[in-house]
Amino acid sequence: MTNHTVESLLAFSERVKAAYLDKKIRSPVHFCSDTQAEPLIDIFKEVRPHDYVCSNWRSMWHALLKGIPEEEVFRQILEGRSMYLMSKEHRFLASSIVGGMLPTACGLAMGIKQWRIDRLPAEDRGKSFEYDKYEETDPRVWVFVGDMTRTTGLFHEFNKYSFGHRLPIRIVIESNCLSTNAKTRETWGDYPFNEPGMKQFYQYERTTPHVGLSQRVNF
Amino acid sequence: MLLLAAQPNAIFLGQGVASDGVAMYDDLNGVQASQRIELPVVEELQMGMGIGLSLMGFLPILVYPRMDFMLRAADALVNHLDKLAEMSRGQFVPKVIIRTRVGPKSPLDAGPQHTQNHCEAFQMMLTSVLVDEIRRPEEIMPAYGAAIRRTGSTIVVENIQ
Repeated sequence: MTNHTVESLLAFSERVKAAYLDKKIRSPVHFCSDTQAEPLIDIFKEVRPHDYVCSNWRSMWHALLKGIPEEEVFRQILEGRSMYLMSKEHRFLASSIVGGMLPTACGLAMGIKQWRIDRLPAEDRGKSFEYDKYEETDPRVWVFVGDMTRTTGLFHEFNKYSFGHRLPIRIVIESNCLSTNAKTRETWGDYPFNEPGMKQFYQYERTTPHVGLSQRVNF
Repeated sequence: MLLLAAQPNAIFLGQGVASDGVAMYDDLNGVQASQRIELPVVEELQMGMGIGLSLMGFLPILVYPRMDFMLRAADALVNHLDKLAEMSRGQFVPKVIIRTRVGPKSPLDAGPQHTQNHCEAFQMMLTSVLVDEIRRPEEIMPAYGAAIRRTGSTIVVENIQ
């Protein structure tokens, strides 16, 4: 839990935008939409310091809300690492590949579950494992994906395995109804995506292009 | 495999590690059931599971019964296991041991999808993960011993025809 507000998140984005337009960032930056700020602040009220966050290429606000200091996030962005911000101390990972963090998140959660099983009384270890076996001190793995990632085959494998094995995973689907610029639902036709799993959704409207800003930067 | 199983927090994952049915299963004789996780056929997920388990302090040994099948894990291998240390500036350095084999062509020829040797191709794509191809039985133990000692990850390719 951090003290970030809508205003502080927006101010950070403005700082990055200024650096971007000033040609200080020589790699792609995926800016968050203004409409993401409120839902993200709400979601991160549940994310604890000992939890892991596995994010994606649009992760600057996730990183701030996870507790990575603003200067550290800004430094990594200036170094061209906006698409894969990382912090071991803050248990934060990201990937610029669609769904790229899903398998790693699964492995982190398997490790957490195994750690818990090893600490159960011997007579309980062979029994079926349910979510209530986890304790408050056990980390959870939070996974942030877009709406197209959610429709991929890899996501379905990930969701099936993590739900089927009761892994300590929370999936947040951040939907702008777009995959880059394509309309996600239209590309799949009329398929109902209603599989079970530990998912929550929020929808937002994009306020910047998929990558960069509406202004061309000539280096 | 007992050498690997004896390592702290070693855990075997893959198809045919707890259920009989592939040639590599017999090699796990003596490995405790608690160290084996039989997976569905999820090659890419499996590779990433190894990354995550490694970051949680385990030594994952990922079993791919044929090297051909590893193509399905290429993203998690090339873009993540191989690049995570670089992307994180050394903060996350997963150590995973991958065991696979090149399928034999005689006395039975398993055909073009079960006998490919992709060692050279993977070597060209990988910058930190080591590909160690072994061709003689006496190379097996040194290869796995070296994989245990390495800081990073290793693919041990058993190509003993």
